[in-house]
Parts: sequence; structure tokens; C-alpha cells
Amino acid sequence: MASNSTTRPLPGRQPLSREFITQHQRARIVKGLALEVSEKGYRAVTVADIVKRAGIARNTFYENFSSKEECFLAAQNYAMSAALDRVVEAAGEIDQWPQRVEAGLAAFLDYVTEEPALARTCMVEALAAGPESVKCYEESLQAFVSLFRLGRDVSPHGRELPDTLEEALIGGVFWILYQRLLLGETESVGDLVPELVEFALTPYLGAQGARKVALDQPPSLEDGGGR
Amino acid sequence: MRDPVNPSVESPDYPPELARLPPGRHGLPREFVAHNQRERLIAGLAEAVAENGYAGTTIAHITRHAAVSRRTFYEHFASKDECFVAAYETVMSQLHQRVDAAFNEEEEWPQAIRAGIGAMLEFLVAEPHLARLSMVEALVAGPVVVERYDAAIQGLVPYFEEGRKGRSAEVLAGLSPTTEEALVGGMVSLVSRRIFADHTEELESLLPDLVEFALTPYLGSAEAAKIARQN
Repeated sequence: MASNSTTRPLPGRQPLSREFITQHQRARIVKGLALEVSEKGYRAVTVADIVKRAGIARNTFYENFSSKEECFLAAQNYAMSAALDRVVEAAGEIDQWPQRVEAGLAAFLDYVTEEPALARTCMVEALAAGPESVKCYEESLQAFVSLFRLGRDVSPHGRELPDTLEEALIGGVFWILYQRLLLGETESVGDLVPELVEFALTPYLGAQGARKVALDQPPSLEDGGGR
Repeated sequence: MRDPVNPSVESPDYPPELARLPPGRHGLPREFVAHNQRERLIAGLAEAVAENGYAGTTIAHITRHAAVSRRTFYEHFASKDECFVAAYETVMSQLHQRVDAAFNEEEEWPQAIRAGIGAMLEFLVAEPHLARLSMVEALVAGPVVVERYDAAIQGLVPYFEEGRKGRSAEVLAGLSPTTEEALVGGMVSLVSRRIFADHTEELESLLPDLVEFALTPYLGSAEAAKIARQN
């Protein structure tokens, strides 16, 4: 059967490399964990649950991870870097800063819709999974901070903006997504793009300038940004 | 509110209802002792959690800090989780009262927002253990507390929604249904990060930034900055 050739090495051919198998196993375990924690919450999930969900042997789990905690951290990091890769890819293609923010947010929200379990792992459950996870979570927010901070260069009053602005904006965006993930309302998070863009751009461009970008009208920074 | 029996005793570290009963024989009515034991347990939990984190806290830690027996613990609470919920509720109702009182004392909405945020920061700085319990450990303490935590944060939304009153159509057009949620979430995130990193004492210096952030969507950033930086 044709499908056999893709999943199993044919006799006489090179067997799959050890590395390939390990990677494949880790990915399965991580996804199994994500599904379990997003259904039951971090605390309630056991290694037995993960093993069952991933369809692997208990030994295989322990060959890859020493504990549920370690597996969770791997899942959290995997999910967040996958999401950030999307953001970087989408935002990197665009020159104008306001549209970059828009593209980056849209890509991030797409990820939430496509991978709700992984998104919930790294944005909701991470906060419940102990200090190490919270630390990683906070570090991941920094990636957005630098994207947003570029807005100070295009803002007419960029130099007067409070130092903590980006942190607060990203905290706000994440909180909105946290709520939607908690309620399982991930199908429609893409609808939030315009309002989140407007929210994020207002301090830099003023309400009118932000609104124009959010409604996809050509940006005009001459609006003066409300100051 | 001072300890009605011992007005001179006031713990510097906890709001009055969390203050401890002085050790020794006191001949107090049974009901009062029971009530006070509960409060001691709640204060004991706050101390134990500050020391060990929620996950690392055991009932033995709590009873040691509260100086009560294990049996007494179980007379009041079925589990560590249940004791945490009680502690969380106590802290949040304190915090809510302070914020609400400060907010209502001001006539103008922007000043009321500033006063409310100021009261919140002041409380958290004065009570670093309770700050940690309510803003960091709450998220670790299981679904029941997480639900209350979310509700508490969403409970701040109406204070901001008041800012919509009397604004021009142009300003209102710039606000979306989630503006207030995002503002509250952003502010809480700034605050929790400082507490998580054990920099709770820095919180009071965040006041101008938080006020400017909160008022910008309603007043524009120039006016928001002006009110935020007022003395």
C-alpha cells in the first residue's frame, strides 16, 4: 500500500533516523499535552493522561521528558515560538509600521484560531503552571514589545510616551485573547483584528489615525496623532 | 476596624480582619474564637504562600503560621484550595472597597480614575504578601480561583466605561466594545509583572503611566498625559 511507504521504512531501505523518530515523538507528546491541559486545566492533567492522548508508551514519555512540568514547558515554548514565527513572517514583509502591527496581530490571531489547544497552553495555562512558565510567558511578550516600540519613531509625540506603554498594550491584547481562549471562543477571534489594531495604535497615531489603519484606509501620519 | 477585644493590637502586615489574636488564654466567646481562628488560618495561608508559593504550600505550613492545630484547620476548610478561596475573597473585598471609595470621592471622571488606580497601587505596595496572593498565586490555585480572578478583573470595566459618558461622537467612534477590557487587562498585566518579579515597591511609581494609558482613548494622549502628571 502506498501509505506504508511514507510511514514505515521499506525492507532493505534506510530506517528512519533516531533523531527523526525522537522529534516526531516529542511533537506528538507536546500536542497530546496541549489537548489535555486545554480540556482539563494544567493542574488536573497527569502523565497518564498525556500518554494516553498521545498514543505512546509511558516509557516513551519518560525517554523524552522527566516530568509533566518539563513537558509543559516544552509545549509552551513550542507553541509560543510557532506563533511568533508567524508574526515575524507576516510583519517582516511590510514596510509601514502601522500595517506591520496589523499584519502581525492578524497572524497571531490566525494562530489562535488554527491551534486553539496550543494557544491556550501558552497563553492561559502557562500562567497556572508555576514560576518557570510564567517567566517564559513574560519573555515571549517581549517580542511584541519591540515590534510595538518601533511606533515611537513614526509617532509625532513618540518621545513623550510613557516607558511602559508597550507592556501595557500587549498586556491588554493578551488579556482579550485570554478571555476568548478561556471561553473557547477561538473561531471568531480574527474578527477582533480591527479593534485590537485600533487599541494598539491609538497612543501612537491618535484615535483618528489608528482608526484609518484599522479600517484599511491609507495611513496619513499628518493627522498629528491627537497631540 | 481594630480588633474589638484588643484595640491596641494591630498587625502592621495585614488588613485588620487578617490580624491575629494574641496568644494565650483569653476567655473569649466560642463563636468569636472560631471566627478568629478562621482569620488566623487565612493570614497563615497568606504567609505560607508568600514563603513557599501556592503549589509548595502544605496544610502543615498554614497551621504552623496560624498557630492552630490541623484539626482546627479542617473544622474551617475542607482543603488548601478552599482556604485559598477564602483568603482571596478577603483580600479582594478589601481592595475593592478601597478602590471604590477613592473613585467615588472624586467628582470628575479622569480624577476618579486616577484616585482609584492610586488606591489600588497603595494597597498592593503596603501588603506585598497579599499582592502576591491575589495577583500571582491566584492563577495557580485552581479553576475556582481563576474564575474569581477573571471576574474581579472584569469587575473593573464599569469604572472605565463611565468615561464614555458625555464624549463626542468622534471619540466614541474610536472606542470599541473591548476597549475597557483591554485597558484593564493591560494595567493588570503591568502590575502583576512587577509583583511576580518581587518589585512590588515599584508599583507606586507606575501611577502616571497607568493613568495616561487608561485615559488616552477617552481624552487623547495630550490631555491624558496632563492629568497623569498632575501633582
